[in-house]
Amino acid sequence: MSRPRKIRVTINGRKVEAAVAPNQTLAEFLRCHLSLTGTKEGCDTGDCGACTVLLDGKAVNSCLVLAVETHGGSVTTIEGLSSDGELHPLQQVFIDNGTVQCGFCTPGMILGAKALLDENPNPSEEDIRLGLAGNLCRCTGYVNIVKAVGAAAKVLRGGK
Amino acid sequence: MSVAYQVVGKPMPRTDAQSKVLGQAQYTDDLSLPRMLFVKVLRSPHPHARIRAIKTSAAQKQPGIVAVLTAKDIPGENSMGPIIKDQQILCADLVRYAGDAVALVAGETEQAAEVALERIEVDYEELPFVFDPLKALEPDAPVAHEGGNIGTHMKVRRGDIEAGFGQAAAVVEARFITPRVEHAYIEPEVALVSLDAQGDVSVWSSTQYAHLDREEVARMLALPQSRVRVRQMVTGGGFGGKLNPHAQCYAALVAWKTGRPAKVHYHRDESLIASYKAHPYVIDMKLGADREGRLTAIDARLVGNTGAYLCQGRAVITKSVTHVSGVYYIPNIKADAYAVHTNTVPCGAMRGYGVPQVAFALESLIDELADRLGLEPLELRMRNALDTTLPNATGQIMPASIPVKEMLARAKTSVESLRPLLKETPPGRKRGIGVGCSSRGIGSIRKASRSTAVVSLHPDGSATVACGHVDLGQGSDTMMAQVAAEELGLDVDRVRVITNDTAISPDCESTSASRVTYLSGNAVRFAAAKIKTRVLDLAAREFDCAADEVKMRNGAVAHREQGLSLAALFGKNTMHIITEVAEHLPATTPPDPETGQGKPAGTYNFNVHIALVEVDEGTGKVETLKYLAMGDVGKMLNPMVVEGQMHGGMMMGMGFALSEEVKIDCGVANSTFATYLIPTACDVPRELIVDVIEDAEPTGPFGAKGFSEGSLDPVGATMANAVSNAIGVRVTQLPMTGERIHQLLRRRGEAVLKAVN
Ligand code: FES
Ligand code: FES
Repeated sequence: MSRPRKIRVTINGRKVEAAVAPNQTLAEFLRCHLSLTGTKEGCDTGDCGACTVLLDGKAVNSCLVLAVETHGGSVTTIEGLSSDGELHPLQQVFIDNGTVQCGFCTPGMILGAKALLDENPNPSEEDIRLGLAGNLCRCTGYVNIVKAVGAAAKVLRGGK
Repeated sequence: MSVAYQVVGKPMPRTDAQSKVLGQAQYTDDLSLPRMLFVKVLRSPHPHARIRAIKTSAAQKQPGIVAVLTAKDIPGENSMGPIIKDQQILCADLVRYAGDAVALVAGETEQAAEVALERIEVDYEELPFVFDPLKALEPDAPVAHEGGNIGTHMKVRRGDIEAGFGQAAAVVEARFITPRVEHAYIEPEVALVSLDAQGDVSVWSSTQYAHLDREEVARMLALPQSRVRVRQMVTGGGFGGKLNPHAQCYAALVAWKTGRPAKVHYHRDESLIASYKAHPYVIDMKLGADREGRLTAIDARLVGNTGAYLCQGRAVITKSVTHVSGVYYIPNIKADAYAVHTNTVPCGAMRGYGVPQVAFALESLIDELADRLGLEPLELRMRNALDTTLPNATGQIMPASIPVKEMLARAKTSVESLRPLLKETPPGRKRGIGVGCSSRGIGSIRKASRSTAVVSLHPDGSATVACGHVDLGQGSDTMMAQVAAEELGLDVDRVRVITNDTAISPDCESTSASRVTYLSGNAVRFAAAKIKTRVLDLAAREFDCAADEVKMRNGAVAHREQGLSLAALFGKNTMHIITEVAEHLPATTPPDPETGQGKPAGTYNFNVHIALVEVDEGTGKVETLKYLAMGDVGKMLNPMVVEGQMHGGMMMGMGFALSEEVKIDCGVANSTFATYLIPTACDVPRELIVDVIEDAEPTGPFGAKGFSEGSLDPVGATMANAVSNAIGVRVTQLPMTGERIHQLLRRRGEAVLKAVN
């Protein structure tokens, strides 16, 4: 077993220093080391998207990223999306549009949607479907999720 | 006659939605305890083998390993199963499918346990095996399960099918094949168990039936149930798949043996390999109708592959066979259904519970028959649709809430509106329209089932509901809160629903069979109503008026200008709480084992779906352009929840129709989400309309009845009819993968169905 390595990474805006095993995934690091359990794991193989977080603004499957790879970077998890008890618009539209059932896909879905909207503030329905194709949901049939992301885009663009 | 309700019938987000979007909801794997051990399961690589010996010493000596356990370490009964307990928790001498559990390793870390797993030496004597259920029925087939390969044979006998086919002007028949399907809840199985100072067992789990977890853990450890407490944590989906507490038992055994907290957490591949599935079916069905288009007879043989264990096979098969005539009146019925053992992963409960498979066969033949008779498919359906005067296959007549004809009439309008789109088919594509219908008895089919609720009203005008039906994401906690709030005149946020703790919530049987709204909804309502009666009586005494003149609203009672807070009313009567218990047990009669006749359900739910599909002639790929899902739910308790369930069920059905199939090589061959394909956001129909039909169920809470499975039931049938209509060849096997449809296109012209007359 190789020795732990020191990393310095910004997580949800706070600087974190930690010693991590070279083979530890970011998902494990967040969940077990930092107790940020809002990030979920549904497969560990990059196929479900439940573990999606933002790494330097881009959506990644944290089960496929090694914690050491985030050294010097910045990670946003679901816990970092709301500020001072204020829901992020995506979180609010997810509630309002009935997109939440079991909720296991929800954190990953919301962060996937955030990355999508950051890149394309005015996506078509087709763009949203394609953008979320890597995030599996077994409960909702995606219908309201797609609707919600469209609604969030509007809110974030400043419309109503 | 419509009653204005304050809370019920209004769309409202789930009470736990906020905690879930914030990532704060606690699922079982989010918990850990000091000194917690990680448990891994050693599983059989062989589909059928005798265990000659298990050597654990090498594994035991690995660094970080605390225990290696086998069947002989189980102090109580070594058996489990949601209904039929024919599977060993750890196999003692025989493994019956590749994936059967043989030993447990408990380590300080998951990695240590994984390494040690490979050091366990099992000496197997391989035995002959059988995977194909039809082969398993042959006389000299390997015996997959002692007692014989026929696990169950259920029958329906009504009328005289010879006479029925004699009256027929057209008869169609075919063999239909459906896939083995995985629930694919995104949260895999997980359980955490610890012992307290008195040696009592605490279980935290992802489960559909906390009380069954308690029962099974207690039985395995030879403990009274009172010494086991189970808390269902927020659960990441179940869909019928979290009814067998294997992970819970493994964690409990390790905790019991080591005295340390223990966690079992399956990875996706283990979940796919080991957990039970939905039954694959081979269905031979024959259907006849007279010249007027009245169905005269049906003859069906349903063979469900139940795998190595019966699990819930008997109940699933019974559900199928009692639903063999769908939404139609057919006077003469002969149907035989078998749960057949093979050396494959067991099959059990899954959303749909044997209904989608028969609906696929029946609805396909209805279309064929319509074609034979020169009738519109919807017209043939209309001529035979059930109503309040006609019995279904079990002989049961539903006196109310059976809006099939209304739904079919609406379907006709929709189909007409889709027809012009057939003319706009782009080159290289084929378009088709299909209709599918289904009926579903709500609740367990083989026995009466009861729900119990305990409702408490507190002096501050808040209330607690305790009821053992858990919320797996379907939204039942929210709806139960609405029911209690409505009855007690409170806002929903004043009501807390506790369904997840066996120490608090009474056993309501499993959360399955679309039974929660109907059964627990009634139990909660009845208990709340009893409380209300008591409060109104107390208030009437205070106000010196009749009880029905008192209003109860927002934690206070009032009569004309007199008012009193509940706190004051309670105080005057030296009361601190008012608690009432009520239950609901619908008057049902299970189907007779020889004839299938009875009154198996308190109420039924009906669905009619329509699809417009486009098939790529080059690849065989099916695209759904428009989909209309009509569902009858009685009255909606919460339209937002109803809509969400209908979307989810419909898309799960889409997987069954188009892409999902668990394949077996030795064990499960496709054990990742890259090879077992559930629908993604890209697979949602271009346009999806959900149409809820409200026809109150008089025996349901505020007119409501169950519906969660129904939205899945007719999807396979609907899609198969649409694709068959598009390509001009009858589809007889699901899922309709591009490859399969491409092959059918190549063989177009060969009639799969043969007319008898
Ligand atoms: S857990 Fe990372 S993609 Fe599934
Ligand atoms: S809400 Fe359950 S998986 Fe998406």
